[in-house]
Amino acid sequence: MTEVILFIAVGVIAIAAAVLMLLSENAVHSALFLIVNFACVAFFYLMLNAPFLAMIQIAVYAGAIMVLFLFVIMLLGAEKLGESTRQFRWLAPLALALSAAFLLIVGVAIVQGQIDLRGPVTREPLLRVVHAVEDAGPVDVYANGERVAANVSFGDASAFEPVLPGEYTISLTQPGTETVIANSAATVLASSEGDSATAFTAIASGDAGAPVINVIPNNIESVEARSARVTVYNAYNGLDAVNLVDFASPNDLNDDRVVISDLPAGETVVLPLLPEDTSVNGWAFVDAANAENVLFRMDNPEVYSIARDTSQLLILGGEQVISGADTLVRPVVIPLVTKAVSSFGGPQSIGQLLFTRYMLPFQLIALLLLAAMIGAIVLTHKESAVPRRRDVRRVVSKPLAAAIGAQTGTDVLAATPVEDTPQLPENQPAGD
Amino acid sequence: MVQTEAFVMLSAVLFVLGMMGVLLRRNAILVFMSVELMLNAANLALVAFARQWNQLEGHLFVFFVMTVAAAEVAVGLALIVAIFRTKQSINIDELHQMEG
Repeated sequence: MTEVILFIAVGVIAIAAAVLMLLSENAVHSALFLIVNFACVAFFYLMLNAPFLAMIQIAVYAGAIMVLFLFVIMLLGAEKLGESTRQFRWLAPLALALSAAFLLIVGVAIVQGQIDLRGPVTREPLLRVVHAVEDAGPVDVYANGERVAANVSFGDASAFEPVLPGEYTISLTQPGTETVIANSAATVLASSEGDSATAFTAIASGDAGAPVINVIPNNIESVEARSARVTVYNAYNGLDAVNLVDFASPNDLNDDRVVISDLPAGETVVLPLLPEDTSVNGWAFVDAANAENVLFRMDNPEVYSIARDTSQLLILGGEQVISGADTLVRPVVIPLVTKAVSSFGGPQSIGQLLFTRYMLPFQLIALLLLAAMIGAIVLTHKESAVPRRRDVRRVVSKPLAAAIGAQTGTDVLAATPVEDTPQLPENQPAGD
Repeated sequence: MVQTEAFVMLSAVLFVLGMMGVLLRRNAILVFMSVELMLNAANLALVAFARQWNQLEGHLFVFFVMTVAAAEVAVGLALIVAIFRTKQSINIDELHQMEG
């Protein structure tokens, strides 16, 4: 509701500014009303999820183009130029009538054109599956009977696939066969309104005897600059709950910090945004009941690191390890790092499109700008108005000349050479 | 969410206002500003449809239109300044030297 009120209010201001721009006698007032109109249009861009364009509108249109207009208006003194009577008296009524007709036709076309029947297109939800079932080999992943990924081995995840919103049952099968290893409950994957990309991760955990597939929503939207979003999922069934502890330094027991406490199996926790290169060297999962029982240390910096603009999912699962005659389940942390999806209309997404697919028009328009700059310089160049020396006549005052002539006996004015190049001394007056 | 039709209707109104400015005003700079208004109206329609169909190409096209408008304004105003130097007037009724 507030959106509609804002739209109507700013729309009225924009139209009023445009009308006043047309009616104003003073060109400077018209330029200022046009700036108000541009500011209203920038506000509309913000309402339409185009923040980059809103800033560019203010910077380029209101900040550069209108300033150039104002410079030229002041330079030419155009605000003083009045409007003379038109050549054709019938021009004004005809223009008004034609404009009204045009507006009527366009209005009918817009209202009858049923633009919004299709409704706003939202992004399809993304789905990926992580294989963390303890003792199963590579699996194929099926969602509602359709294969989503093939040959996913332990610790790997399929890539994010867009799926139509709806209810899904994720199942894992042996590759190449129809034998179903695990089935998930029917979960609804809904798309979201607007521009956010909803992503879901289905985590298959447990052991081959009792596998469990849990679908969790995963936030992969853009994060603040140079930080990462870390989500932690506990898929380890051996214990009731785990803690994630940061053993900052291995020797000092006083600077241990509990990052997550009491995370039961099957639950998810989203950590607050971590700046890039936060060291997770000292992080470890421990048993919530017994702090001495360290399940897994994330001390391999090549595998566990926080990179910028990523969304990371850490899954604590169990990996089956055969040592000797026993098969043990060893806890392991699976990191899944995805690049955060840039928001619609933001500078990153515009840049991703502009500098890959539309590089050629971008360069052509840059050339156009250069040509326009050179054209503007050439058009406004003036020949310099320095008077030429040839046109300057030597000016001698007449009374002085007459007095000298009376003394020397010659007519000084007539004898004075006009050109400034020195003459050969043929007619030199007597006495210099 | 405000309907796309509302934005396109507003864009049409602004475009018609700009058109009337081009037809009715005699000052060359005013005509130029009305052309900028029409370009802005077109940009608004482009961004409205880009949101409707969730495609960023609409924003890119607006980017290009803005750039071309800036280039056009630079050259056009330079022309007006050059004309003003010779004719001392920017009333478009008097600028008809290229007539046959």
